[in-house]
Amino acid sequence: MTGEPAVRLSGVTKLYRRYGRKRTVGTLKSAFLSRAGLRALAPDAVVPALVNVSFEVPAGEMVGIIGPNGSGKSTILKLLAGIIRPTSGAVQVRGRLAALLELGAGFHPEISGRENIEINGLLLGLSRREIAKRFDEIVRFAEIEEFLDAPVKTFSSGMAVRLGFSIAAHCDPEVLLVDEVLAVGDEAFSHRCLEKFAEFKRSGKTILVVSHDLSLVSERCRRAIWLDRGRLAADGPAAETVALYRERVAQEEGSHRLEAAASPEPPAERFARIGSGAATVVEVRILDGEGLPAGRIASGQPASLEMRVTGGPLSDFVFGFAISTVSGIQVFGANTDIDGFLPDGFSGEGHVALEIPAMALAPGVYSVDAAVHARDGAPYDYRRDVLRFEVTADRPAAGVWDPPRTWRFTGAIRWKS
Amino acid sequence: MLPLLRTWRQRALVLALARREVAARYRGGVLGYLWSLANPLLLLAVYATVFRLVFTPRADVRPYALFLFLGVLAWGFVSSALLDSAETFRANGPLLRKTTVAPEVFPAAAVGARLSHWIFALPVLAAAIFYAAKRGSVAPGLSALAFPAVLLLLTLTVFGLALAVSSLAVHFADIRDVIANLLTLAFFLTPVLYPVDSVPERYRGFLRANPFSTYFAALHDSLFFFRPVPAAEWAWMAGTAALSLAAGAAIFERLRDSIAEEA
Repeated sequence: MTGEPAVRLSGVTKLYRRYGRKRTVGTLKSAFLSRAGLRALAPDAVVPALVNVSFEVPAGEMVGIIGPNGSGKSTILKLLAGIIRPTSGAVQVRGRLAALLELGAGFHPEISGRENIEINGLLLGLSRREIAKRFDEIVRFAEIEEFLDAPVKTFSSGMAVRLGFSIAAHCDPEVLLVDEVLAVGDEAFSHRCLEKFAEFKRSGKTILVVSHDLSLVSERCRRAIWLDRGRLAADGPAAETVALYRERVAQEEGSHRLEAAASPEPPAERFARIGSGAATVVEVRILDGEGLPAGRIASGQPASLEMRVTGGPLSDFVFGFAISTVSGIQVFGANTDIDGFLPDGFSGEGHVALEIPAMALAPGVYSVDAAVHARDGAPYDYRRDVLRFEVTADRPAAGVWDPPRTWRFTGAIRWKS
Repeated sequence: MLPLLRTWRQRALVLALARREVAARYRGGVLGYLWSLANPLLLLAVYATVFRLVFTPRADVRPYALFLFLGVLAWGFVSSALLDSAETFRANGPLLRKTTVAPEVFPAAAVGARLSHWIFALPVLAAAIFYAAKRGSVAPGLSALAFPAVLLLLTLTVFGLALAVSSLAVHFADIRDVIANLLTLAFFLTPVLYPVDSVPERYRGFLRANPFSTYFAALHDSLFFFRPVPAAEWAWMAGTAALSLAAGAAIFERLRDSIAEEA
C-alpha cells in the first residue's frame, strides 16, 4: 500500500446550470429565430452544489457522507465516479472504482436477466471474461436462478434490486461508492449488503457511503463527513460527526417548534382538546439533558417534559403527562395525583416539569398528551398529541422499551471480538 | 480524438448494447429478426413496382430492383442510425446519470445496431445477386471485395455524424426533426434511386459535394456494376470519414460535460 490516498478532492466547486424558462423552448428553431440567437442557450441561473470542498480518504477506510437533502452528497459521488466534472478544483481516484448510485440502473426490461448481467457488468467496468468467471456467484447471491432467462420486466422489484447489488458487489472494486442503496430491499437483503461491506472493509477496500441512516454511519464507518449546503461542515470520527449533526438537526427542529408555538394560529387540526377551560395548557416542550428544546432525544439520555399552564384560581388540580407511540400504544403515563402531590392552590401562571433521568425508549416517534384536570378526572384542559418527539439510538430495537442491559454467557459459547 | 479512443476501449460494451437494442426490438415478434428485413423489402417492392410500371429505368441499371435494393438498404442504415443517435441520450438518461459509463458508447451502439440490421440483410442481397447473375443480368467480379471497405468507411462517417448529432440533441430538442427533413432532402440528392452517370455532367460536381454520393457510387461500382472503385473515390471516402470523425469527436468533446447533466 502506498502513502497516496485512494480518493482526493482538492478545492472542488461544482456549479449546476439551470435553464428554467429557456429549457421549454430549447430548440434549434428558437435559437435561430429568436433575436437572442445562440445567447438564448445561456443558463438562467447557476446553482452551487459544492463550494470549495477538500478531503482525502486513505485506502482501506470506510467513510460516511451525511447531511440534509440537497447538501451535495450525491454530487460528490458523481464527481468521484467521473459522471460529472468539477467546475473548479481537482478530483483524484486511485484504483478501480465502482459506483452504486442506483441499483440496477442499467437494466433493460425487455431482455433476460442473463443478458442484463453481462451489460451491467460491462457498465461497471468488468471484462467479458471476468463476468463469465463470476456469473454463477452473482446469480447465487441474487437468488434469481429460476428467473435467469426471463425478461427483467417480469422480476419483482426486490429481485431486480438484489441482482443490481450482486453484480456491483462482485465486480471487485478498489473504491466503492454507495448512495442510499440500503434504503431499498427487505431486512434480510440489507443485512447481506452490510455483510458484503464488512467483507470489503476487511480486504482493504475504500468505501464511501452516502446515507441518511445515521446509526449505520456511526456504527459501520470509522469516519464521517458532514455536508451542509455544499460546504464541508465537519469531518472526523463517525460517532462525533454524527453527534454534531444530530445536535444541529435537533436545534433546528426545536426552533421550528417554538416558532410554531408562538404563531397566532396553532395547527389545530392535529390534536383533540377537551376541557372546561378553568385552566389552560399553553405550551408543551421536551428538553434534552442540557435543558435545550429538542425534537430528538437519544435513547437512554435524560430528558424533561414541560408545560406552561395559566388559569385559576383553583384548589383542586392535577397535572399529567402521557407518552404513546404514534400508532396509539400507551407507553407511559403519570400525574401529580398518582405521584402523591396534594393540591393547595393555583392561579395565574405555572410551569410544570417532569424530569426523566433516562429516556429508555426504543427508537421511534412518540406522541405526548398533556393535561390539567380535577382529582376526579374532570378535565380543565386535556390536550392530546400536543407534541411529538423522536427517540434515536445507535442500534435498532424491537418494541418500545430499550432498557440498559448486560448479557452474560457461560459454557461453550464463543464470540468474535 | 478522445471520444474515439474511449469508444474503442469500451468496444465490448458497445457490442453488448447494440445487441441489446436489436434483441429488445425484435424479442416480442414471432418472426424475430425477419422484421428487420420487412421495411427494406417493402420499400423495395414499392420502388420496384413503381419504377417498372410507371417510369422506365435506363438500360444500364437493370435489374433495377437489385440496384434499388442495394441503395435502399444502405440509405436505411444512414438515416436510421442518425435518427436513433438523436434520441439515444434521452433513452439512456438513467444510465448516464447513474453509472460511470462513457457516453460515447450510446451513439456507437445506435450506429452498431443499425449496421447489424444492414448486415443481417446481406444474405438476401447476396441471394438476389446470384439470382440475377444466373439470368445473366449482372456479372459478379472481384470488385465485390471492395464492399467491406466501403461499408467500413461509410460506418465511420456515420459514426462521426452520430457523435455530433447525439451531443447536439441534448441541447436542441428538435434536432431529430431537423435531421429527418435534411435526410428526406439528401435522399434525392444522393445516388440511391439513380446511378451517378445519369446525372448531367455539369451538375455532377454539385452532386459530389454531398459526401454520401461517393459512398453510394462506390457501393454501386462494387456490387452492381462490378467494376473497380476509382482511386480518387477511395481517397475522397477516406478523407470524408476522417473529417467526419474529427469534427464529430470535437463537437462531442466540447459538449461532453453537459451530457450527463442535461440528458
